[in-house]
Amino acid sequence: MLTIDAKNVDFYYSEFHALKNINLEVEKNKVVALIGPSGCGKSTFLRLLNRMNDLIDGTRMTGSVLIEGKDIYAPGIRVDELRKEVGMVFQKPNPFPKSIFENVAYGLRVNGISDKNFIEERVVQSIKSAALWDEVKDKLNKSAFALSGGQQQRLCIARTLAISPKVVLMDEPASALDPISTAKIEELIYELKKDYTIMIVTHNMQQASRVSDKTAYFYLGEMIEYDDTIKIFTNPKELSTQNYITGRFG
Amino acid sequence: MQVKRFFEKLIEGFLLISGSITSITILLIVIFLFKEASGLFTTPVVEEGYVLAFNKENPIKHLNAYQIKQIFDSEISNWNEVGGKDMPIEVVRLSDLTNYYTEEELGAEFEHIPAKASELTAKTPGIVLFLPKQYVAKKFDGILLDHETIRPGDFFGGKEWYPTSTPSAQFGLLPLILGTFWVSLGAILLALPFGLAVAVYLAEIASMRVRNVLKPLIELLAGIPSVVYGFFGLVVIVPFLQQTFGLPVGETALAGSIILAIMALPTIITVAEDSMRTVPRAMKEASLALGATHWQTIYKVIVPYAKSGIMSAAVLGIGRAIGETMAVLMVTGNAAVIPHTLLEPVRTIPATIAAELGEAPVGSGHYQALFALGAILFLITMIISISVELISKKKYAK
Repeated sequence: MLTIDAKNVDFYYSEFHALKNINLEVEKNKVVALIGPSGCGKSTFLRLLNRMNDLIDGTRMTGSVLIEGKDIYAPGIRVDELRKEVGMVFQKPNPFPKSIFENVAYGLRVNGISDKNFIEERVVQSIKSAALWDEVKDKLNKSAFALSGGQQQRLCIARTLAISPKVVLMDEPASALDPISTAKIEELIYELKKDYTIMIVTHNMQQASRVSDKTAYFYLGEMIEYDDTIKIFTNPKELSTQNYITGRFG
Repeated sequence: MQVKRFFEKLIEGFLLISGSITSITILLIVIFLFKEASGLFTTPVVEEGYVLAFNKENPIKHLNAYQIKQIFDSEISNWNEVGGKDMPIEVVRLSDLTNYYTEEELGAEFEHIPAKASELTAKTPGIVLFLPKQYVAKKFDGILLDHETIRPGDFFGGKEWYPTSTPSAQFGLLPLILGTFWVSLGAILLALPFGLAVAVYLAEIASMRVRNVLKPLIELLAGIPSVVYGFFGLVVIVPFLQQTFGLPVGETALAGSIILAIMALPTIITVAEDSMRTVPRAMKEASLALGATHWQTIYKVIVPYAKSGIMSAAVLGIGRAIGETMAVLMVTGNAAVIPHTLLEPVRTIPATIAAELGEAPVGSGHYQALFALGAILFLITMIISISVELISKKKYAK
């Protein structure tokens, strides 16, 4: 069964036709990179997968998105339940103004888990999975704002992992970070692939080629090409894709 | 180039001057307030132009304002109650002299009063004589209480506010400060939960259309003159309270609280709503992306994040309630007695100042007491804003 299966997706911001007939399939435990110039619709598509676009007034969507075979836009789907299955890491690190521990525990607590031992176990495990444990193990009760940007972003990843999602969406997760932090996030994505299906939006071509199994190239709301990353970067079928990855525009 | 630099300097200087003038003005007002207020404690305890006289044998050297009042109201009738000998008090006013002397003895033009007053004081051991200064004989045979001034204890601990009572005016702060406290407390208890609920609704739940109608309407409330609120309170709320609770009069602390709550609502709603709307989108999205429901996001992320804004909303509301004058003056009944429930008439500090300043002679004890009330009001609001500043700073310390 496909983990993500988008069929004939069209999306509109009021009058603006932001996504045009997108069809995209993702298998389990793969990393898919979405690339393309700014405004091409890649972030919009990513945010469709956990229905984050619902928060924006005046948007409209047609087509269907199946996650593990379930239509997430079917009537009666609970959006908060969906978002537990499909976690999201944002472009800028956005920890809550709480302690490091509470940041990671937040997702568990809002899901009604109150077993202290379970929460503690899960928090530690998530921070370890996010490769942050060695840096924060002595200051779990300190404010998350005391961490560096790169650490904050890994904390946000840990926070997402704590609710055990099936899919992790990452919206340019390293764009606000320095090269060393970026390298750490990339290593982390490589590790996470074992347990999660990951979709990542990036402007960084090298990053896409390093971390992803498959790459989708978006341009002006259309998905121009979607193939194995190695093919996209060495032998793209479309001229537009080739121009973009070789830096001739965008 | 030179000219441009000159103009920049000129504008800088202008800004500096406006800043300093503002600060100096505020400082001058505060200094003026405290200077006038401090005059209260150099005011004689006995009415201006009068003295109290005792017999030479009487060991009493000091009487405070409240004791004098009680003596002249016959509530104290023995000297031992105010720390003297066991001896009944004999109160004599100027007009009572005719009980002791005939009109001939006092003289056609009352020219013998000084001599007779001195004589009466000398021969009556328990006497307290209330006498205009002009009738005090040069060689008065008795003790005069004329240097006694109002003490801080009389003001801060005084339970009665009778600024025009003779022979000793009562400037007791307690009834007024308690009145202010009760009315403000009631107002904030009513306005805060309601105001926050509306703020949450407007910031998070209401649709754009509803918000665009409600927000200007609520802001309109802030523009209504307070006297109109007072009028509304007098005509609608006061009779309503009177009937509902079966009270002899509807002008009560509760009426004041309700009016103040309505008046404080726009401030509370606007400030709290603005602070909730400035919660970064990223915070809200982070919470929602973790599977939190809209409600969980509101009370676990938005409200805590907007805490300092909500605090300032509460404080601005309290500030409005404590300082508001006109509407409160109109609906609270203005009885300067210590209230025990919200259903009694009370008198607040601002209402007292507004109602009495016109009648108080400039420079008199009454006048200075009103300034002292103003100073107290200033201190209360200052303490509130400073403490909130400290609380919100602590919250954001790392």
